[in-house]
Amino acid sequence: MTASRYERPATVAQAAALLSEAPGRATVLAGGTDLSIRLRTGLFKPELLVDIKHIPSLSEIRWTSSGDLVIGAAVTMRRLYSDQKVCAAFPALTQGARSVGSLQIQERATVGGNVCNASPCMDSAPPLIVMDARLVAVGVKGEREIPIREFFKHVKKTVLAENEVVTAIIVPAAAAGLLTAFDKLKRVRGHDLALVNAAAAYDPGARTLVGAVGSCGVTPVMTRVLTGVDASAAEEVGPELARAALEKICPIDDVRASAEYRRDMTALLCRRLVAKLLSGTAGR
Amino acid sequence: MKTYPITLSINGEKTYLEVPPDRTLLAALKGDLHRHSVKEGCGIGECGACTVIMNGAPVNACLVLAVEGDGATIETAEGATCPDGLSDLQQAFIDFGAIQCGFCTPGMLNSARALLRRNPTPTREEIVEALSGNYCRCTGYQPFIEAVEAVVEGRSRGGYEATPQPSAPYVGGSTKRIDGAAKVTGAAHYVHDMSLPGMRHARIKVSPHPSARIVKIDTSRAQAMPGVKAVLTGESMDRKLGLYMQDKDILARGRVRHHGEAVAAVAAETVEQAAAACQAIDVEYELMEPVLDVHAALAEGAPCVHPDLSSYSWMKGVFWPEPGTNVAHNQKIRKGDVQKGFEEADRIFEFHFTNPPVQHVPLETHTAIVTARPDGEVDIITSAQSPFTVQYLFCHTFHLPANKVRVRVPYVGGGFGGKAGIHLEPLIYCLSRASGGRPVKLVATREEEFNTLPSRQGLDSHFKTGVTGDGRILALEIQYLWDAGAYADYGVNVGRAAAYSGAGPYHVPNCRIDSRVVYTNKPYGTAYRGFGHLEAHWGIERNIELVARAIGMDPYEFRKKNLLEVGDTTITGELFTEGHGRPRECLRLVAEAIGWDPAGRASAVTRPGAGKVRGKGLAMLQKAPAMPVFTSCSCVIKFSGDGSAAVLISGVDYGQGTYTTLSQIAADELKIPVDRVRVPWDSDTDYTPYDWQTVASRFAVMGGNAVIQAARDCLGQIKNTASQVLHAPAEKLVCQDGKVWVAGRPEPKLDYSQLVLGYSFPDGNSVGGPVIGHGRYIAQGLTHLDPQTGQGRPALNWTYGAHGLEIEVDTDTGEIRVLKMASAFDPGKVLNEQQCRMQVIGGVVQGLGSALFEKFVFAEGRMLNNSFVDYKIPTAKDIPSEMHQFFVETPHPQGPYGARGVAEHPMISVPSAIGNALANATGVEFFELPLDAERVYLGLKHHGEEPKL
Repeated sequence: MTASRYERPATVAQAAALLSEAPGRATVLAGGTDLSIRLRTGLFKPELLVDIKHIPSLSEIRWTSSGDLVIGAAVTMRRLYSDQKVCAAFPALTQGARSVGSLQIQERATVGGNVCNASPCMDSAPPLIVMDARLVAVGVKGEREIPIREFFKHVKKTVLAENEVVTAIIVPAAAAGLLTAFDKLKRVRGHDLALVNAAAAYDPGARTLVGAVGSCGVTPVMTRVLTGVDASAAEEVGPELARAALEKICPIDDVRASAEYRRDMTALLCRRLVAKLLSGTAGR
Repeated sequence: MKTYPITLSINGEKTYLEVPPDRTLLAALKGDLHRHSVKEGCGIGECGACTVIMNGAPVNACLVLAVEGDGATIETAEGATCPDGLSDLQQAFIDFGAIQCGFCTPGMLNSARALLRRNPTPTREEIVEALSGNYCRCTGYQPFIEAVEAVVEGRSRGGYEATPQPSAPYVGGSTKRIDGAAKVTGAAHYVHDMSLPGMRHARIKVSPHPSARIVKIDTSRAQAMPGVKAVLTGESMDRKLGLYMQDKDILARGRVRHHGEAVAAVAAETVEQAAAACQAIDVEYELMEPVLDVHAALAEGAPCVHPDLSSYSWMKGVFWPEPGTNVAHNQKIRKGDVQKGFEEADRIFEFHFTNPPVQHVPLETHTAIVTARPDGEVDIITSAQSPFTVQYLFCHTFHLPANKVRVRVPYVGGGFGGKAGIHLEPLIYCLSRASGGRPVKLVATREEEFNTLPSRQGLDSHFKTGVTGDGRILALEIQYLWDAGAYADYGVNVGRAAAYSGAGPYHVPNCRIDSRVVYTNKPYGTAYRGFGHLEAHWGIERNIELVARAIGMDPYEFRKKNLLEVGDTTITGELFTEGHGRPRECLRLVAEAIGWDPAGRASAVTRPGAGKVRGKGLAMLQKAPAMPVFTSCSCVIKFSGDGSAAVLISGVDYGQGTYTTLSQIAADELKIPVDRVRVPWDSDTDYTPYDWQTVASRFAVMGGNAVIQAARDCLGQIKNTASQVLHAPAEKLVCQDGKVWVAGRPEPKLDYSQLVLGYSFPDGNSVGGPVIGHGRYIAQGLTHLDPQTGQGRPALNWTYGAHGLEIEVDTDTGEIRVLKMASAFDPGKVLNEQQCRMQVIGGVVQGLGSALFEKFVFAEGRMLNNSFVDYKIPTAKDIPSEMHQFFVETPHPQGPYGARGVAEHPMISVPSAIGNALANATGVEFFELPLDAERVYLGLKHHGEEPKL
């Protein structure tokens, strides 16, 4: 393991300034549950670790007056799913957070870290995608919002600039009108990475439904939006969402599962999510 | 590198230290602050062994940087006790048998503490959730869950009350683990936790290829790096290693034979320096065509993994390698006339089965500290199962006399066969010599544990069975092809043992088995709990089920009809006697417990989409220790002046609980309370007497016999002295509760404390002297197997057993859940009931791993899943909902109080029982392990299709 300097900025501006001091050679440290494993290999040798956990606003969960949910990038998975209001409003998100690693991991891993790490199997991405969440990124030149749907470029690659830091994830107020759910297939019942994970959001007002699937391509993917969804026709909508997902995913055979199994399980998770959402057993 | 001052409050104690930014909290707590209850099991946050409570939250200390912890409150197991002793949780862990090897215990304890602080009344589901981030390979999790439940319940009634400690006689009762307190407090120190003054740290560089010629190794960059003291490659080491076949170099020489093989090693001042230097070693390889499976290895013109096989030395007369081929050993069993049997059979069936290689996954990886002293002596402290075997093989390799080599084994964090034999010790010795005789420590990383150190070999088995129309087996022809990997290690003996046990507990009048152990370019195999029997029984018990169904017979009845009965002979010609035990009763018990129903089979093939379906399954098993004919054990018992005794023995209790059992035996035989018996934990070739190896479920049997004899020797000496004081012949004396008196004359009584160091008369005249007893036991009546027919008596005692279970299969995903599990064994005599149950529960859950999840995944010979990220073992969430244990006690004539071994057996046939239940649930037969969700799902989906080529 090697890293030569550690800083604990107190503000976002300081963090951004530190990151631009050593572009490409500095890295943000949030929960550290992925970063410390990369450090252990000795192949990843950042000069500077910028620990963002001591920036007060980054550890906050707050609701704006317009009803947006703002999750600080350093909010841990456990913090997130322990928040009853968030659980009630966005069950897919908290279900996803609850399925990241073991409890010990959930105590450290952060929502910001999970998305910035950009592993194809991250459990927070599919829920954030179906809810059309936005990321707040701050660099020395200022702040910008990035739709999560445009954030991921490839395995472990995002559109984030080297000197930018994600400070918050915004779940728009509009998502509060959605019914959402998350599901995940693993090899054991205990903690494991997803063979397939998926989330779906149903908008009863607009009668639209959208899904997102992870672990079946270089980034999580979103389905096309199904329209004119008949809430009483889960039997038809499920396969339709499954077809929509299968159009987008591009799974491979790897150490965890075959492409065939991933495709079939994608379809299964889509059907299960739809059944849950349209039967009303999923929360809003 | 810049360092940072940090403050930690550890168990209430403010601690200041300076750390570099990349030091983990684990390294700081363990390396810098000596909180050794914090264990390292993987370094990547998967196993939970390093769980500490940080600011009230359970976290993996390996994933937290020490600098991040500045200002934090940290709690470890060292601080878990109360002012008046163990906390309720610690006590409950002991009471419920949640202690085995102890390596996961402190982390598990911290997870439980953190849970109860936040949620004083958790549900069972919440308890399971909170503990599921901690891997345990020994206990099967259930005792931990029960312990936490009991504490919750106890607290609601004003406080948890410890279960009572049983009183004498102890044998047969559930005396609590004598190592319990040491393990729940973190006081038990493992080699992982140890360091010696001036010690150097080693790391190895491994091969990324399955088969390659080593063209050149350039160590010059590594040599020049800071802190580096020694860099070794195979070129400088010409000693061959091996248990039965001397086929392995200490570091690869000339060629590498498997992915993960060690090619170079470095000793440096710190682990980090050693690791960095390993990365700076440049190895040039010329790739060779690897041999990747047994069939390819046996094909005409296949490359030889060991072209120089004929020049190796091996144990002659026992193993039969075939130089010029990849066959490391060929074990033949010939009984009766198989040809005739098939001719007389009404029906003949053939089936083919496979098992993948898997790993033991002890929570403590292999590690040792070796000092090559300047005076020529060698001091080895190692996490090994068998100190005398390490000593013997080490001396054999380096041509050293045994009296110059000392081997010590402290607490061991799990073994399961993977720490039998000799592994890292010779390499570390060479590093120590090259480092000027400083002690050198090498700890295998979890990745190295998977493919540098040995695993369980894969098996490919083919069964041809001839039966009569009414269901009697007439002939059985089996081909076992063991995928030994690159080196023979224990693998050749696995192929031998599984062959002589290869027909299962059935009477087979005509039998032919060819068990070939085949070299390939895979990580090499060794002993693993069950020693080939789980793998062989996957075929044996699936075959029995398939044949029974094919002739339209209830598999339960078919088994009953063919089980060995008194008067039958086994396939090696051994007469089955009453003293062998009652397999039939084991089968009956489990069938009854699960409500076996012969009609409970899917009437048609079940396809995905059928929702959840259920099925029941049965499977039998048998196993005997695989041991040389001369296997022996010895024991010394000595006394302290207060009449308490120490039992010195060299078998290792790496979690299985034998020391507790031996203390019960010693207490009963010496007539003293069990808490006056100590079994010193470290085995030490300098101080504890000879034992062969702690393998094969033979320690309680052989060690038990040795302890009985040693205790009786002591008692004779005590009585001899007492008879001079009490003026009565020794045979008239009674010993009880640490006192001696004359039968029929209860006064005066002499206390052992007056006798065990010698008795002093009032006038000063003294008699007797310190009591020291010794006992020994050597296997009786074993013979070598005939090389052509395999006939002979290979086994000291057979233990029979059966599993019955009910599963639920989610046909949509292929996931299997075990709803109810019943297991029955005939261990002759249950010496410690709780520990017997714990062996069964732990073994069953380990067997579930083999059944449902575990496999090595390769891509062109490279292992893809040599870490806990992609090699999954059962967690607390993966255990059966219900587990029942039954013991049939048919005394074995040679066992202590009639006991037989039962430590390995619970794992055997768990996959077979699940496979049988799966067939009954779905109507689809599976022939390959593991029965992971994907295999089951795709099996249901594609059933009946032509196999794709």
